[in-house]
Amino acid sequence: MTKTIILTIVTLTALGLLLALVLYWVAKKFRVEEDPRIDEVEKALPGANCGGCGFAGCRAFADAAVKAENLDKQFCPVGGNDVMKNIASILGLEIKEKAPQVAVVRCNGTCEARPRINTYDGVQSCRVKASLYSGDTGCSFGCLGCGDCVAACQFGAIAMNPLTGLPVVDDSKCTACGACVKACPKNVIELRNKGPRSMRIFVSCINKDKGAVARKACSNACIGCSKCAKVCPHGAITVENNLAYIDFTKCKLCKKCVAECPTGAIHAVNFPVLPPKPAAKPAAPAAPVAKPEAPATKPAETEVKKEANNE
Amino acid sequence: MSKLTFSIGGIHPHDNKISCDCKIEALPLPSTVYVSMAQHLGAPAKPIVAAGDAVKVGQVIAEPGGFISAFVHSPVSGVVKAIAPRKDLAGNMVPHIEITVDGDEWAEGIDTTDTLITEIPEDKALILEKIKSCGVVGLGGATFPTHVKLNPAPGKVAECLILNGAECEPFLTSDYRIMVERPKEIVIGAAIMQKVLGCRCVIGIEENKPLAIELIRKAIAELGYANMTVAVLKKRYPQGGEKQLINAVLKREVASGCLPIDAGAVVQNVATSLAVYEAVQKNKPLVTNTMTITGDCLPVEKNHNYLFRIGTPLSFIIEQAGGIPEEAAKLISGGPMMGKAISNIDATTVKGSSSVLYLSEAATKRKAESACIRCGRCSDACPMGLEPFLLNRLHKAADLEGLEQNAVQDCIECGCCLYSCPANIPLLDNIRIAKGQVLGVIRARAAAAKAAAEAAK
Repeated sequence: MTKTIILTIVTLTALGLLLALVLYWVAKKFRVEEDPRIDEVEKALPGANCGGCGFAGCRAFADAAVKAENLDKQFCPVGGNDVMKNIASILGLEIKEKAPQVAVVRCNGTCEARPRINTYDGVQSCRVKASLYSGDTGCSFGCLGCGDCVAACQFGAIAMNPLTGLPVVDDSKCTACGACVKACPKNVIELRNKGPRSMRIFVSCINKDKGAVARKACSNACIGCSKCAKVCPHGAITVENNLAYIDFTKCKLCKKCVAECPTGAIHAVNFPVLPPKPAAKPAAPAAPVAKPEAPATKPAETEVKKEANNE
Repeated sequence: MSKLTFSIGGIHPHDNKISCDCKIEALPLPSTVYVSMAQHLGAPAKPIVAAGDAVKVGQVIAEPGGFISAFVHSPVSGVVKAIAPRKDLAGNMVPHIEITVDGDEWAEGIDTTDTLITEIPEDKALILEKIKSCGVVGLGGATFPTHVKLNPAPGKVAECLILNGAECEPFLTSDYRIMVERPKEIVIGAAIMQKVLGCRCVIGIEENKPLAIELIRKAIAELGYANMTVAVLKKRYPQGGEKQLINAVLKREVASGCLPIDAGAVVQNVATSLAVYEAVQKNKPLVTNTMTITGDCLPVEKNHNYLFRIGTPLSFIIEQAGGIPEEAAKLISGGPMMGKAISNIDATTVKGSSSVLYLSEAATKRKAESACIRCGRCSDACPMGLEPFLLNRLHKAADLEGLEQNAVQDCIECGCCLYSCPANIPLLDNIRIAKGQVLGVIRARAAAAKAAAEAAK
């Protein structure tokens, strides 16, 4: 009995040692030489593996970054400028800073503003719905409301607002990875510059129908009247196909267009809510400092602020 | 002769041919028609009239916009009011020509009498030219331009023309009514296409239409066409699918990614055959079609089969037929299996419009989805031999390579999988999306290969 136990222990120990030697030899012999900086860069990345940079994951991004001659074509939207600076210092390269961006929902077709004209009872997926028809409201451009963007977001930054039936982006969680932009079959969501202190102005509508048609389908629609374009002192607004668009690289956040828009389709978000007159002053100097504008979608809060601004 | 059918898959929905005894009635002219520029497969047609022009019935108002495209003719006489985008059935903007109706004057050279003309022109090119200039497209659903289909690519030979009189979709009876009321015209139309292709012809009709089988057989015998037979098919959905019909009649399979002509067959619908007859023998362009008004919540006396002018707004047809019944929860254009829900009754009728179907909530309400129990009924039902449950899983995993290997691109979107699923999983909805993605990948690959080949030159 004792003999058997001793024999077993000895045999297994010998076998273990032998195999360990084989593994050691194999690891040495077939070692893959890899630039150690790839590991370093990967560590510096956020590790979300979201694909927002256009690569298959953080490792693939790191690999490409180490091989690249410069980092002009690569940007980690999740980590932003800080992470990119770290990476650049590891690799001894320089980067151009990018203005932080955020996802913006360009549709304000709430349940009240955009009445349903038929009922959709198919699969609750925007892609399926879009492949079948133009939607259950009179607007064939706007949000379909099935929440594909919510499902696509890995950061929990988008949620559907059950009152409006529209998605709402949480600025603080949005990393501008662009997953929602790709998921939306109607191209409602756009990445826009976040703007100084998250202040931004954007047209919350993408309806290209003629004014009367758009208005009939949705009381919050852009009717393409061009009033905003005429009032804009910076030439940031263009009206094409009955739809206004604000170029966020040119907008100086003067908010003239917001006051001019007859349907309230232009939204200004995150502007400080201040008592009547002095409020405008702090906001104005802030604008020219950085390139501003960007869209954003802050839900309930946004609307409250907008109303306050309109007053 | 034993009854034929296709070899794999298929389902047996109740046929509900409620309107089969309703004679075809000519619908009155509406005050305005909207003629869509995209009512055929392929490139949209280009308008050649302008606002203010006077047009007659049958006058060309739009030219083909490409090789696969078709002429569009005015369905009414009157004045062109506008050429503007308008929402189609699905709510997408499509250019339409709006014509205000004024009288009913036909263009010159069109024979509007009922006289049967049995003599078929000898010149094949002339026949094809007439079919093309009369804007004939396949009326079985896909609206593929008929002159293109009748003119196989060099090196491909048609051995058999199959006329599709299966009408396997439940509820629809428009094909049945034309087979019963105008069998001789259909048979002559088939003989014309036979002449162009130089092959035999089989007319496939399902067993639930005994009168149509009898009348078509009688018409063939009376006209003395030797090379034309009627094949009686078992009742089974989707028998009218092109590939299923070829399998049923010829016992041949169309390989994945191939066209029917590769199996030596050309399939045309009976309604197309009638349109070919009218185009070649009567010079009459495709400006009318037959449509069924029916549904499970429509009283029997309100069922209709209408001969309508293409371009008549759906709302006008619905009004003429007595309005939308209260119990109707869903309006469908086409059959209940493959038709599309009508979200916009202001939309206009197109060449391929075949029905307005009123379905009750009980018949259309989607039941709650539950988990797949791997019963395999969807695989048994798929007439293309696919595995819908697998495709659904691959779609959820976004595995485009796997989807392509499992031939998602061969899906004919017949809906058998969805119909047979006991767990009410929306298989077809997901597979349709996956099919679109895979076809996109295949097309992109083909375009890249073409570009590479050109660059190599």
